[in-house]
Amino acid sequence: MNAQLKPTPLATNDPNKHALAGRPMSGADIVVQVLADEGVEVVFGYSGGAILPVYDAVFRFNHAHKVGEREPLPLIVPANEQGAGFMAQGYARASGKVGVAIVTSGPGATNTVTPVRDAMADSIPLVVICGQVPTAAIGSDGFQEAPISNIMAACTKHVFLVTDASKLEATLRSAFEIARTGRPGPVVVDIPKDVQNTQLVFDGASRLPLPGYRARLRAIEDARLDDAACKTFFDALAQARRPLIYAGGGVIAGEAAVALRAFADGFGIPVVTTLMGIGAADTTQVLSLHMLGMHGTAFANYATEDCDFLIATGSRFDDRVAGVPAKFAAGARFLAHLDVDPAEIDKVKRVDWHHLGNLSRALERLRAYGQTAGFDPLGKGSYRDWHAHIVDLKKTYAMNYARDAAQIQPYAVIEEINKHTQGRAVIATGVGQHQMWAAQYFDFREPRLWLTSGSMGTMGFGLPAAIGAAFARRDLVVIDIDGDASIRMNLGELETVTTYNLPVKIVVLNNYGDGMVRQWQKLFFKGRFSASDKSLHKKDFVTTILSMCRA
Amino acid sequence: MRRIISILLQNEAGALARIAGMFSARGYNIDSLSVAATHDAAVSRLTLVTFGDDAVIDQIIKQSRKLIEVLEIADLTSRDHIETELVIVKIEVGNESLNNFVAALRRHPRAQVIDISAGVRTIEFTGNGAEVGEFLDDLGRVGEVIELARSGTAAVERGAAILAQA
Repeated sequence: MNAQLKPTPLATNDPNKHALAGRPMSGADIVVQVLADEGVEVVFGYSGGAILPVYDAVFRFNHAHKVGEREPLPLIVPANEQGAGFMAQGYARASGKVGVAIVTSGPGATNTVTPVRDAMADSIPLVVICGQVPTAAIGSDGFQEAPISNIMAACTKHVFLVTDASKLEATLRSAFEIARTGRPGPVVVDIPKDVQNTQLVFDGASRLPLPGYRARLRAIEDARLDDAACKTFFDALAQARRPLIYAGGGVIAGEAAVALRAFADGFGIPVVTTLMGIGAADTTQVLSLHMLGMHGTAFANYATEDCDFLIATGSRFDDRVAGVPAKFAAGARFLAHLDVDPAEIDKVKRVDWHHLGNLSRALERLRAYGQTAGFDPLGKGSYRDWHAHIVDLKKTYAMNYARDAAQIQPYAVIEEINKHTQGRAVIATGVGQHQMWAAQYFDFREPRLWLTSGSMGTMGFGLPAAIGAAFARRDLVVIDIDGDASIRMNLGELETVTTYNLPVKIVVLNNYGDGMVRQWQKLFFKGRFSASDKSLHKKDFVTTILSMCRA
Repeated sequence: MRRIISILLQNEAGALARIAGMFSARGYNIDSLSVAATHDAAVSRLTLVTFGDDAVIDQIIKQSRKLIEVLEIADLTSRDHIETELVIVKIEVGNESLNNFVAALRRHPRAQVIDISAGVRTIEFTGNGAEVGEFLDDLGRVGEVIELARSGTAAVERGAAILAQA
């Protein structure tokens, strides 16, 4: 059926040469072969006219390479392409690998704009492949045509419109490279239908020349902290009595949690995390202060106010953390910033010291330098008062709620689930109050267990993200903690859960309305609950999901 | 403060739109923009004039550098540089103002009349931003400017320094 996709013996003795190099293939077959070569193990997407050749190639690939009942490239079909985008995100966030969605032109592609922008804002690696009308029809207002490269340019790390079929293979491979390297992000590849149908010769290794991008990437990857930089850092740190690490999503994206914990534990430096940084530190530890910021814990925010040395690590002084930059960590006499993105240095707040480079390696280097230099605040008891203060803050301002209330409190629900999951389940959320309660009351012992739309704040994120995560972490319990309003945004994906019989657990914290919006209306609009009250809604969520479970 | 930013860009579909889009999305103003392929057909050079303090310009350059097709980018303002702009201007010149017009041209030796029609003269002028401004002011006093086309500033560093090695 698909002879050209079957692995063949090596034509030469070159071990680096792809087994299929030199084989004739259609553009669509090349798309699928590159996905397979990039280690893609699941694809999310919805079909349509302009992407049919690729869908056919996926079908033939799965047929030709089926092992028992297992398809090598399962294609998971959502109710709406936005769901596909968030499933790919959930997969990417939980696994650290590139998530892939394949959609058709026009509405299929525009439905992915929200998850693509969401991935950009949270630095999540995605490759979204869109069908496009044939090259000759581009710009003619054809059926299901949309100017995707224009639309997506504003919300991606990069977008390619492949008009030269001979560059298709190199473009796809480069799309994965761009998505996963440096500060990760979404890459959209828009492929006209005629390009999918063009007969080409598979190369197996081609990549686009990206001289500017690769040179800048190499500079960051090769960057090392020299002795002078380490000395400056530790000379200042030696003066501090109340140091604090402010860890963000970059620690998760950069796989730097192990190094961060070793650094923090080695010197006894407490850690606050951002919403995106949850999981960077083990929240059950004494010196872990959980989330800071507008919806963070009081003790994390007081500790940030009280610290005299702040180490921002993969974090970016976002407005939900540093609402008034001048007042943020105002007591810190020294600000250090470690990141992979040069544009984040001094963007919001000027720092005294910074390092651009691989976070894990930088933290390891700092730890080793400090140890060699005899920096031993734990041994000397330099932070004894600070540690006592942290313990006191956590006790005095412990998270709490009306524990004797007659009605079930949402916090109680989360605390109860947490007793079972003990910080080792994957938790996805929608956006709003339930999201913040989940951030506050769940424990997270490892990175990549907390999946939330942080920067964009996209309601409807939770359910499809949990579906994607179920493919990434088949070994873990996956729970979508959702709100009654958030889940409604992608309610159709309930059926995706039942169709594929996925072990996703869904908990809806139903407060009959847009709780976060009401919270703000109460604070800033004298309690006028314009359009946020859903108490007249007649939906029964349990019956809803039962209706999706065919007997 | 007025800044001249030079960018070398891989000459690919949509690259210019992405630069312009990033500027508008992030709220940066573009005062003028000139763009064309260089002696290497795969590379375009953009010269962008914008206004901003050091922090804003620093962010503009860093955000531009994140665009995949950007090869090199530099703020030429702080370096010893040469800038020039082409302007084509049409003005109404009646018999009564002809002498004033000729006198104005003498004050600006780099101005060149490139078209003469009844009552209308089309003049070409090149110079840096300040010179173009002075020329247009002077010409405006002679007759009514009825059409104006400016190329936007182009700039290079003085001497042997080139952007590709920056």
